[in-house]
Amino acid sequence: MTSNTHVWLGTSTRQLIQYRTGRRRRKFTNTLMIAFTALFTLLALGVLFWIITYVVIKGLQYLNLDFIIHLPRPLGITGGGVLNAIEGTIILTLLASLFAVIPGILAAYYAAYNPNTPLGVAVRFGTDVLSGVPSIIIGMFCYALIVKYQGHYSALAGSVALAIIMLPTIIRTTEEMIKLVPHTLREGSLALGSPEWKTAISVSLPAASQGIITGILLGIARASGETAPLLFTALGNDNYDMGRIIRAGIANHQGVFVILGNIVTQPVDSLPLTLWKYAQQPYPERINQAWAAALVLMILVLSLNIFTRISVQIRANRLQGK
Amino acid sequence: MTEEQRRVPLSIPLDIAQKNVDPLVSPDNKIEFRDYSFYYRKFKALGNISMQIPTNQITAIIGPSGCGKSTLLRSINRMNDLVPNVHTEGDIFLNGENIIGQGVDVVDVRRRVGMVFQRPNPFPKSIYDNVAYGPRLYGFNRHDGLDEIVYNALKQAALWDEVKDKLHQSAMALSGGQQQRLCISRALAVEPEVVLMDEPASALDPVATLKIEELMQTLKETYTIIIVTHNMQQAARVSDRTAFMMIDDPERRTGILVEYGSTAQIFTNPKNKQTEDYVTGRFG
Amino acid sequence: MTKATHSLSNRRPPARWMIRLRLLLHYGDRPWNTLTITMAVLTILLVVAIGILLWRDSAGSRAASGLNFIKPTSDASWNPVSGEFQAWPFIYGTLITSLFSLVLAVPISLGAAIFLAELCPDWLRAPLGGIFELLAAIPSVIYGLWGIFVFLPDLVEPAGKFLGATLGAIPVLNIIFHGPIPASGASLLAASFILSIMITPTITAITRDVFLAIPVSQREASLALGSTRWETIWKVLIPYGLSGILGAVILGLGRALGETMAVTMVVGNSIGGSLSLLKPGYTMSSIIANEFAEAVSPLHTQALLEVGLILFILTLLLNILARMLVWRVGGGNVQGARP
Repeated sequence: MTSNTHVWLGTSTRQLIQYRTGRRRRKFTNTLMIAFTALFTLLALGVLFWIITYVVIKGLQYLNLDFIIHLPRPLGITGGGVLNAIEGTIILTLLASLFAVIPGILAAYYAAYNPNTPLGVAVRFGTDVLSGVPSIIIGMFCYALIVKYQGHYSALAGSVALAIIMLPTIIRTTEEMIKLVPHTLREGSLALGSPEWKTAISVSLPAASQGIITGILLGIARASGETAPLLFTALGNDNYDMGRIIRAGIANHQGVFVILGNIVTQPVDSLPLTLWKYAQQPYPERINQAWAAALVLMILVLSLNIFTRISVQIRANRLQGK
Repeated sequence: MTEEQRRVPLSIPLDIAQKNVDPLVSPDNKIEFRDYSFYYRKFKALGNISMQIPTNQITAIIGPSGCGKSTLLRSINRMNDLVPNVHTEGDIFLNGENIIGQGVDVVDVRRRVGMVFQRPNPFPKSIYDNVAYGPRLYGFNRHDGLDEIVYNALKQAALWDEVKDKLHQSAMALSGGQQQRLCISRALAVEPEVVLMDEPASALDPVATLKIEELMQTLKETYTIIIVTHNMQQAARVSDRTAFMMIDDPERRTGILVEYGSTAQIFTNPKNKQTEDYVTGRFG
Repeated sequence: MTKATHSLSNRRPPARWMIRLRLLLHYGDRPWNTLTITMAVLTILLVVAIGILLWRDSAGSRAASGLNFIKPTSDASWNPVSGEFQAWPFIYGTLITSLFSLVLAVPISLGAAIFLAELCPDWLRAPLGGIFELLAAIPSVIYGLWGIFVFLPDLVEPAGKFLGATLGAIPVLNIIFHGPIPASGASLLAASFILSIMITPTITAITRDVFLAIPVSQREASLALGSTRWETIWKVLIPYGLSGILGAVILGLGRALGETMAVTMVVGNSIGGSLSLLKPGYTMSSIIANEFAEAVSPLHTQALLEVGLILFILTLLLNILARMLVWRVGGGNVQGARP
C-alpha cells in the first residue's frame, strides 16, 4: 500500500479513494471560502473609505471660516455660509435631548428592573419597533400633531421628531447600563432605608451615568444626521441666527421667555437639510457648499461615534483589569 | 481493519513522513509523548511530559483540578490549536509519526483521533444526521453505504436498539446519557484509531455513567481509549493503565507527569509519595 | 445615674412637620413608580399613536380611492390636480429596490459577518467591527450627495450599461433589466446599490452577534470530527443560527424599505410605466419627501398620508417578524446594530 504518492487510511480501496479525493477538494474549498469572506469584508470597508475620502477632498476644497460664521448669501456673492444650519442643528439636538432624555431614562429604569412584567417586555419590544419606523413617517406624525395645530413650522416640532428618533437609542443603552450596575449597590442603599426613588437618583443612575451619557451622545449623533423628519417640521430658514434674535429681543425689551419663544418657534435649518436643498440645485456654487456642509456634518457625526466607542472600549478594558 | 493496515502513514509525502518516524519507538505504542511542553503565552501549562500509551487499552489520566489533564488530552488531537497565543515544545507521535510539526494535516489527525466531551454536544439535527456528519464530509452518501456506517456506529455505542425507530427525530430530544452515547457513535462513525474522552460521564447520572463505563470495555478491543477523569474510583474500575499528574509548584503551576504505570500498581503500590497521597484521598 | 448620652434610642421625637415630610418622601416611591410606568407606557403608545394618526388622517383618501390605490397597473396616474391617486408605481419602486438590494447585501454581509465572528484574528476584531459601525453612522444625505456625484457616474452608470447589454438580452430578465440606463445613472438600480451599501452594516452586525451567540461546544464537536473551518461554518454554524440570520436580513430589508434621503436623491423621481430597474423610478418614501410639504389639496395630503400608512404597516410587520426570529437564537442576548 505504500508508494511514492500520498496514501490514505481507509478500510477498503473504494473508501481509500473516497478519502483521498475528498481531502484536496475540501482543503481547496476551505481556503477559497475563507478568502471570499475576507474579500467581502474588505469590499465593505473599501466603500466606506471611498465615501469618506471623497467627502473630505471635496469638502476641504470649499470649507473656510466664512462658511461657518456667516448666513447664506445670494448666488454670486462670496462669503456665504451655513451659520443658520449650524445653529439650527445645535438648537434642534439640544431641544431633542431635553425631550428625550428624561422620559427615556425613566422608561429604561422601569424596563431594567421589571424585565419580566408584560409592560417591561412591551417596552423593549416597543423600543425595537420604534427604532424601525422610517424617520419620514415620524416626521409626518409630528406634522399632524404639532405643525398643523401651531399653524407654522418650528424648531419645536422638529425637535420633537428628533426626540422620538433618539428615544430608542437612549432607552436601549440606559437599560443595558442600569443592568450592569451591581445589584449589591442598589440593595445596600435600599437596606439602609433609602426609598426606591432616592436609591435610583443617588445610587443606581449615577453608577450608570457614564454609559447613559454614551447613549445620549449616540442618540445625538443619529439625530443630527437626520433629514427626513425635518422636512415637514422644521422646514428650513435662511435667516436663522440666534445671535440676532437675542440682540433684537434685548433691544425691544422682550422678556426671557419671549426671546426663547422666538428662538424655538421659528422654522429652522439644519446641516442635513441644507445639504439636501443645495445638492439638488443646478448651481455649482451651491453644490460646492453642499460638499462643505457634508464634511462638517460628517466630522460631527463620526467624531461623536468614534469618541463614544473608544470611551466604551476604555471602560470595558478597565473593568477587565487591562 | 487490522493494526497492520493502520500502520500506513498520514497523507503527507512519504519522504517527510519517514523523517518523523522514529525506529526506536515500540510498535506497541499507539501514542507517545516525548518531552512535550505546552505554553499559553509565557505560562508553561504542561512541563516535559514523556509517556507511551499502548494500543487497545484504556489509559486514564487523573490528578487534582487545574493540573493540565484536559490540556494534555486535547494536545493529542490538536484541539489546543483553537486557543490563540499557544505554542509547544517536544513531540507527540501517533503510530510513530509526529503529529506536531510542519506538514501535518490537522484535519486528518482529528479524524483519526476522536473526542468525546464533558458535556454532550450533539448538533441540533436528527440522530441520523449527527452520526452521518463525519462520513458525509468525505462524500459518503446513502448510495455508498451511509446507512450501514450509521448502523455500525450506533451499534458500537450501544445506542442502536434505543433509537432505531426514531433515527430521523431530533437528537436534542434524547436524555443526557443517550446524547453522550450519540456523541460517541458520532466519533466512531469516521473510524478513528484513538478515542479521547474528557470526563465523559461527569455530567451524567450514575446509571448512564455505568453504561458508558461498560461501553468502554467493549470499545477498547477496537480502539485505543484515553480518558481524563477526576473520579478516582472510575479510573480504578475502568482503566488498564493510569497516569497521575500534578502541578509542580504553586507559583509556576506547570502540570507534570508524576507517575505512570499499570492501574493495579498505581492504586495498590504507588512508587511516589504524592501519588499515594492522592489515591488514598489525603488531598485532591 | 449617668447622664444620657446622645444615641438613637433616646433622642427627642422629631417635630410633626418633619414626620410628615419624611412620610411624603418615603411615599415618594409611589409617584416615582407612577412616573417610570407612565414613561414606559408612553413609549409603546407612541408607536400606536403613529399608526392611529396615519389611519385617521388618510380616511378621506382611503374612501376616495379604495383598493384602486394599491392595485398594480401599468398606467398609474398620480394627479394632485384631478384628485386621482394610484400609488402602485411607488409601491413597486420601494419593493423592487429593497428586494434587489438584498442580492448584493446578503452575500457581502454574511461573508463579512463570518469573517468578523469566526476567522478574524482577535486583535483585529474590535477595530473592524467599529469601522462597520461607522458605515452605519454616516447620515443618509451624505450617501445621497456622494451617490449623485460620485457613485452614479463611476459605478452605477457603467454597471447599468453592462447589465442592460447582458441581462437585458435574456428573455425573462429582460423585463427588469430593460435598458438603456439614463446618462446620469439615476434609476431604481442606483437606489438598489446605495441601499445595499446602507443596509450591509445592519445585517453584518446582527449576523455577527448571532454567530457569537452560538455555543463553542458546537464548533468543538465539528472540528473534533475532522472538519475544516469552512465546513464547520457552513454545515453546523449557519444551520444553527439560521433563524437569527434570517431575522438580520429581514431587519435589513425593513431598513431599506424606509430609507428616504439617499434613495430620493438617486432614484430619478419619475412615475414611468416601466418595470425595469434601469429606468428612473419612484419610491414611497421619495414621493412623500418630495410632495408632502407642498401638497396642493387636503386630498393630496391624505393620499400621501395613505402612502405613509402602507409604508408604516410594511415596516412594522417586517420589524416584528425579524425581532422574533433574532430573539429565538440568542435567547434575547443578541443586540445587533444599535441605531
